[in-house]
Amino acid sequence: MKLKNLNIAFFVTTGVSIVVFIYLVFLGYDEIETPKDVIKIIASIVFPIPMLFFMRFIVIEHFLPENTDEYKLKNQKPATLFLVVTIAGGILMMQFLEFLTQKKLEDALVIAHLINSTTISSYVMNFLLYNNLKANGILSGVLMALAIHVFFLSA
Amino acid sequence: MNVIKTPKTQTNSGKRELLFTFQTIIVTGLLAFTAIAFFCYNDLSVVKGIKVIFAPFLSVVPLLFILSILRDLRKGFIEGNYTKNEILKFGLITIGITAAFTGITLLLSKIDALEILLAGIIAILSTVFFLRSKIKDILGMSIVTGIAEGIIVYMIFLF
Repeated sequence: MKLKNLNIAFFVTTGVSIVVFIYLVFLGYDEIETPKDVIKIIASIVFPIPMLFFMRFIVIEHFLPENTDEYKLKNQKPATLFLVVTIAGGILMMQFLEFLTQKKLEDALVIAHLINSTTISSYVMNFLLYNNLKANGILSGVLMALAIHVFFLSA
Repeated sequence: MNVIKTPKTQTNSGKRELLFTFQTIIVTGLLAFTAIAFFCYNDLSVVKGIKVIFAPFLSVVPLLFILSILRDLRKGFIEGNYTKNEILKFGLITIGITAAFTGITLLLSKIDALEILLAGIIAILSTVFFLRSKIKDILGMSIVTGIAEGIIVYMIFLF
């Protein structure tokens, strides 16, 4: 069962990374001027992978209980709280940073890639392997904040 | 996807070993990537052609010699979980190695002759293979992870 999970996790993580990569490259096509930018973008996509392997290496077991109803019930509230807090915190922080540097996030495409690929990889990994609901809340919060920011708040 | 298909390595230590192998493959790829990127963008010149051929021998020969005479330095991967202190310690080691390798890659980018760059890259590669075959442990894993992250961090922020 665990082996099957591991199997799915690797495939899904790789698949999602590739899709996001292609999508973002198309999205920021204008900003890619030299092959140097391509190298930077590839590097920021690859960034989470060694870290995930290291994490997986350390946390080889389910260090948390199985995904039972009881466990879900117990963690509902803190997980939702984490989600809301991270969304608010993420948006505020990005607004603050944009205000501070007087630059849009879209100008620093690499940073967006970095946050995105790191969060998505850890999200999928966490979702399929460890089922840590609190971590799930935080990671969902980061992704939501990024999406809201890019979609609504940066004109 | 070798990790997944082999059914005989069901134990945790077996899985850890496969993850470790995977990590070394990633580092090898990253090093090749670095060499190509630097070669294309830093206008490297070949000063003495003969040196290019002999550059790998500088580190590969000692590596093979050491591998042949040395016994395994570590006990191998453990089956159970790591304690909190160990995780903290090796996490810090990884961060340290990451910082160090960002610096080392910066140094590599300053090199302007292909043969010296090649010698440097192969020396790092030999170190990785030494870790891979003799230090089969969380220490080896954290060093290899640090090397990979260091190269990536350099590529993202400094290249």
